[in-house]
Amino acid sequence: MKVVVGIADMKVSKKPADVLITYSLGSCIGVVIWDPVAKVGGMLHYMLPDPGPDKAKAQEKPYMFAVTGVPALFKAAYALGADKNRLITKVVGGSQVMDTAGIFNIGKRNYEILTRMFAKNKIAIAKQDVGGNVNRTVSLEVGTGRTVLKVSGRGEFEL
Amino acid sequence: MSRVDEILMMAKAVPPFPKVAHRVLAMLDDPSVKAADLAEIIQYDAAITANILKICNSALFGLHRKITSLDEALVVLGQDELKDVIITSSSAKFYKGTVGAGYDLGQGDLWKHSVACAVVARQLAPKIAGANPSAAFTSALLHDIGKRFMSSFVADELKRILVMVDVKKMSFVEAEQKVLGMTHAELGGMILEKWEFDPEMATAVRCHHDPDALEKGPLAATIALANAVVVSLGIGGGADGLATRLQGEGMKKFGIDAATIESCMADLLFELEKAQEVLNL
Repeated sequence: MKVVVGIADMKVSKKPADVLITYSLGSCIGVVIWDPVAKVGGMLHYMLPDPGPDKAKAQEKPYMFAVTGVPALFKAAYALGADKNRLITKVVGGSQVMDTAGIFNIGKRNYEILTRMFAKNKIAIAKQDVGGNVNRTVSLEVGTGRTVLKVSGRGEFEL
Repeated sequence: MSRVDEILMMAKAVPPFPKVAHRVLAMLDDPSVKAADLAEIIQYDAAITANILKICNSALFGLHRKITSLDEALVVLGQDELKDVIITSSSAKFYKGTVGAGYDLGQGDLWKHSVACAVVARQLAPKIAGANPSAAFTSALLHDIGKRFMSSFVADELKRILVMVDVKKMSFVEAEQKVLGMTHAELGGMILEKWEFDPEMATAVRCHHDPDALEKGPLAATIALANAVVVSLGIGGGADGLATRLQGEGMKKFGIDAATIESCMADLLFELEKAQEVLNL
């Protein structure tokens, strides 16, 4: 079954027939995790690094932010039997508009906070496709771990 | 006939913007006009009347009771809200069906992108000195109307356009200009002129992809910024992706920083959840 992960959303599954998919990642980031032994998959589509001063937003929508969404994704996968040491982590998104001054750079900052969080928690990125000025759609077959990326102008390919 | 001539000829055939809308907007600027006078004009357009009720009752406008008649709607809504509702209800029909397929947009994508942009523009306008929130809402709602009518021309050339974006690092509108001799933003500006909107709004629509849009007056700056926010979030995004230029330095003079933009992005998602009725018009 196709399970759509919306913007500021997260889904995990251990049903082999499920395909997790998130559409149109621009500056947002998609984090895709998969445990090849437990056959557990998860996907997060977060929008921003952190909620800033308005913490209530993170309470209402934890998957909107990297700081609350990423831990929630991993915890949800562990709850289904995934093991931290087996999880394969892939990262996509983090594009930005063409601003030479780099002021309009949410995509870059979304990626930077993720790499800092991963370094601190000793999580390696197995594959990634980030940056540029494109929209990305990513899907994960829960049964096989096959991750397919669709990028405007570059077509569809396996990540 | 050149491609530009073909596009211009097609532009001549663009159907008019509902007359009711312009009449009502003009009346709203006249303080002596009463709700009953407005109702008399609006009720002749059944589609707009039906839309007004749906929009009023969407959480986006946050009214605390259910509105069941046009008269009631006109009394309950504030003047600026009423302008936004009239424009939204009159614009929806141009975005129905699979419009924008040439840009690789799915059904409803262009409308969703436009509504999202209008919501952000209305939020940003009070932060930008000289930008009128209602004009910002209208211009943002219509900023990509050129895509609606340019779509079939782009469909024929999308591959060539995307190669230019990918290989030559052009922005999407630069490639559009190179291949078709015209951009959807330019066409949109012409359509707003044809529809007799304020020249400032037509300019804002025409300039929304200009790299120096933030230097082109408060309304143009608001629309360009709102579009950059929505494009970044990929809401109703198509093949053009984030391939648009924006000289972000221009934000400083409005006192807008990354934190303001991020807060706008977060708010937008909450607002869009309230806009389901509007998105389904």
